Amino acid sequence: MDTRLFGYINWSLLALMILLYLMGVVNLYSASSTRLDSGMTFSGFYQRQLVWGIFGLCGMAAAMSFDYRRLRNLAWPLFIVAIVLLALVPMTGKTVYGAKRWLSLGFMNIQPSEVAKLAVVLITARILARGKNPLGWKDFFNVIVVAILPCSLIILQPDLGTTLMILLILAGMILFHGLRGYVFKTCLLLAPCAAAFMWFVGMHDYQRQRILTFLNPVNDRRGAGYHIIQSHIAVGSGQLWGKGFMEGSQSQLRFLPERHSDFAVAVFGEEWGFVGCLVLISLFCLFLLAIFSTASLAKDRFGSLLVVGVFFYFFWQIFINISMVIGLMPVVGIPLPFISYGGSATIVNFTLIGIVLNVSMRRFMFKG
Amino acid sequence: MKLLNKKTDTPELGATPSHRNRLFRAWLKIQMEDERYHPPRNGLILLQIFIGVMFFVLVTRLWYLQIQRGEDFARLSLENSLRQERIFAPRGRIMDNAGEIIADNGTAFGLSLVREDCRDISATLTQISVWSGIPLSQLWEIYQQERFKVKSFERIRLLKDINRELLARIESEIYAWPGLEIEVRTKRNYPEKDILAHVLGYVAEVNEKEMEDDQTLAAGDLVGKAGLELELEKKLRGQKGLYNVEVDVHGRSLGKNLKKEPRSGHEVQLSLDLSLQRAAWEALGGEAGCVVVMEPDSGKLRALVTSPAYDNNLFATGISKRDWEALRTSNRFPLQNRVIQSTYPPGSVWKLIMAGLFLEQGISPKESVFCSGEVKLGNQIFRCWKRGGHGSVNLERSLVESCDVYYYLMAEKMGIDKIEAFAKACGFGRETGINLPHERTGLVPSKTWKRSRFGQPWVRGETYNIAIGQGYTLVTPVQIAVYVSALLNGGDLLKPLLTEDETRTVTGRLPLSVKSREFIVAAMRKTAAGGTARVVARKDADMGGKTGTAQVVKLKMAAGDRRLSSSEMEYAQRDHAWVATWGMKQGKRCVVVVMVEHGGGGSSVAGPVAKKIYDHIFGPETATVAATAQ
Repeated sequence: MDTRLFGYINWSLLALMILLYLMGVVNLYSASSTRLDSGMTFSGFYQRQLVWGIFGLCGMAAAMSFDYRRLRNLAWPLFIVAIVLLALVPMTGKTVYGAKRWLSLGFMNIQPSEVAKLAVVLITARILARGKNPLGWKDFFNVIVVAILPCSLIILQPDLGTTLMILLILAGMILFHGLRGYVFKTCLLLAPCAAAFMWFVGMHDYQRQRILTFLNPVNDRRGAGYHIIQSHIAVGSGQLWGKGFMEGSQSQLRFLPERHSDFAVAVFGEEWGFVGCLVLISLFCLFLLAIFSTASLAKDRFGSLLVVGVFFYFFWQIFINISMVIGLMPVVGIPLPFISYGGSATIVNFTLIGIVLNVSMRRFMFKG
Repeated sequence: MKLLNKKTDTPELGATPSHRNRLFRAWLKIQMEDERYHPPRNGLILLQIFIGVMFFVLVTRLWYLQIQRGEDFARLSLENSLRQERIFAPRGRIMDNAGEIIADNGTAFGLSLVREDCRDISATLTQISVWSGIPLSQLWEIYQQERFKVKSFERIRLLKDINRELLARIESEIYAWPGLEIEVRTKRNYPEKDILAHVLGYVAEVNEKEMEDDQTLAAGDLVGKAGLELELEKKLRGQKGLYNVEVDVHGRSLGKNLKKEPRSGHEVQLSLDLSLQRAAWEALGGEAGCVVVMEPDSGKLRALVTSPAYDNNLFATGISKRDWEALRTSNRFPLQNRVIQSTYPPGSVWKLIMAGLFLEQGISPKESVFCSGEVKLGNQIFRCWKRGGHGSVNLERSLVESCDVYYYLMAEKMGIDKIEAFAKACGFGRETGINLPHERTGLVPSKTWKRSRFGQPWVRGETYNIAIGQGYTLVTPVQIAVYVSALLNGGDLLKPLLTEDETRTVTGRLPLSVKSREFIVAAMRKTAAGGTARVVARKDADMGGKTGTAQVVKLKMAAGDRRLSSSEMEYAQRDHAWVATWGMKQGKRCVVVVMVEHGGGGSSVAGPVAKKIYDHIFGPETATVAATAQ
């Protein structure tokens, strides 16, 4: 490999990512411990997260090892693989909490909807990269039609969160690319209709309930509202400076549900307070800005769009997860990158950053 | 890898002969975009706006949660994780007037099961059944009832009070049964059992109504339910202490620290003399009846016995249904405190009150009446207890020999209204104020009472009956003791006191002149010396008394309206035996009232009981003649 390439790597992005990941591991150390009569016990979440990080680094290295422009060739094959996997889920998938989302490979479980997310980003980048003009109706529908198949398969699982995520990433990429005024205006008009359609046809009762509970958590203090209330208490009781590392009573005493996964940032907020949260959010913003700079420096449309896809992939997760924990959005099962525990998520996150770094390091390999 | 990168640099050479695989060739192909690319300006601005908005929104919200409302949430978080646990305060002990303990706190050992730690519930319960002899089905029943009330790491109490022997056995084998724990609790202990059961009463777990009335009580607390335990609850009960317990979301305790020390209750010293109490109990010899021993000058009670009684320890650990039913349905009414809760016709003892009325109404002690053994009123005949009659009888003789005819005729002169007013002024028909719950007032009949009770006017014959303590008149034994004390102490009707530190309380004055009182006292002395109460006479002390034999015409059952079966009628129709006495020796003065239900004659049954009690108070009789006090 040409060693000159390392000089162009977006090192600040890499550093920010590693920093966030380590903060996540430290937070998991606290979140996965529980105070018992006999002292502290640890469940091994933080240890496993460390192992996943090593796998993630391998994924990242792999993602950097080839010219990212070859990914354009991979878009359609990956898309087909994703559709096949998604189609397999209803037949052989594992049922968890009443939803079939996982495929068992024996040694590990994979979530085909994650693969689908990646495939949609790739294929959208490929389609949008065809021309520089803002999208007209034809191209717009091209993108939508391609996205509809995986989305409808995912929403049947049912997994509203991932579906929304794919659509949001798509929307972000389209907006970045630009679309013609009349298309944009029509979409704005149709959005409420689509929302109403989702509410009455696309959603399950429990999903509707979640949104209602979000709007008024006190109505359901013991049930779904419990998450929201306990999470509010955890974050709020951190006050300015926080209760200190390993001192958060909400999480240590297990009042906070899902404290190592979706609500991990509540543990952080409780123990590090407003100051800690300010630092964390600033780091996330810098992290996003680092991705943004790669997108703005990219020398080809495909690379640029790919990075923007990754940008929105992280942006929406960060924004939605933290908003959900602090009560700005209903509870949806979306983890916080690097902070929440999760094997596949960690590998995918690292790999995606690998792609961004790939784009950044190869930005000068153009002759014309 | 190197090869691959080279290819990357020269995409035109994508397919080399060494890579025939078509798929791989497709992978190596790189599609170049021809124009010089510049990212869309609007798109880049959009991304920056997105980041800015996110930062602003999240930080604003966190500011609101953590800074604006941080303190509220901090408080909620604390409430979440802290529970308060009470520490039981020891209840005050109760002692007799010599300091002997009659109620204290012992330990009760129980056996509990912690579901979470128990490997095999069924085998464990079987083992408990083997240990205790309680049928397995019963243990299952307790277990099934309790398991939903407690969390899996909390205790279910299966055996309440195990004796030492069983405790030793269980302790030696318990290691093999995880999940079983021996539990130590305090238990109220009454060493005297039946002898003091009605005075002391008992404690038991608080019920819902009591908790409503007193906010400091919580489920599981022990409170007084009867007797002095109830009356003196405020004094005996200590103040509970508090632990702050840190708990997790399931309520599991993670450690505690003391927030408030418990304060034990006050000790109480009774005026009762335990040895006298025991002697009085012995003297009654198991008969249904009661004894009051009162100091006439202070109003302090030295003995207060009612028989039959019950073992109040049974209640302290939770009485079994079977024991409770047995007590409740017994035809001897062991739950009845006869001293204050049973009302009886006073019989001839009532003549002590009537004599006072006659004196105050100006009847001369010298005035005589001829007793022929009976008096006719219309077609009714009222008899004297003595068939042949007493002949000429004055007031003193009427008391000493208990002539009924004298009272028939004199009461006729007085009329019911005066009798009623006088009896009420002497403390009858109202509570004496003794510190025991559920005291009854007895009954002093009157014209108005009869009209409202039966809707009929008063008839003269009833006045005759009232005059000799029969008919509607009902008194409690303690009322008699208060009246006799007042005769001795200068006319003060005293509240009978049960505790040593209570001060003398006058509840009324006898409407009797000094002369009248002295006359009655002297007549009682004579009655004891040679009259109907001579059984209590002793050479070494100044004694007085009056017996009574109350006919049970209409059986009055105080405890419920259960009718007695015919086989019991014989006993139940026997007369109540009364004796009201006083004794003085070397400045020691006391009043003893004995009542034996269906005992028969006052002088033959109640008198000997009083005699035994005096033997205890004054010691065995000696030959020395007492220097008479008056």
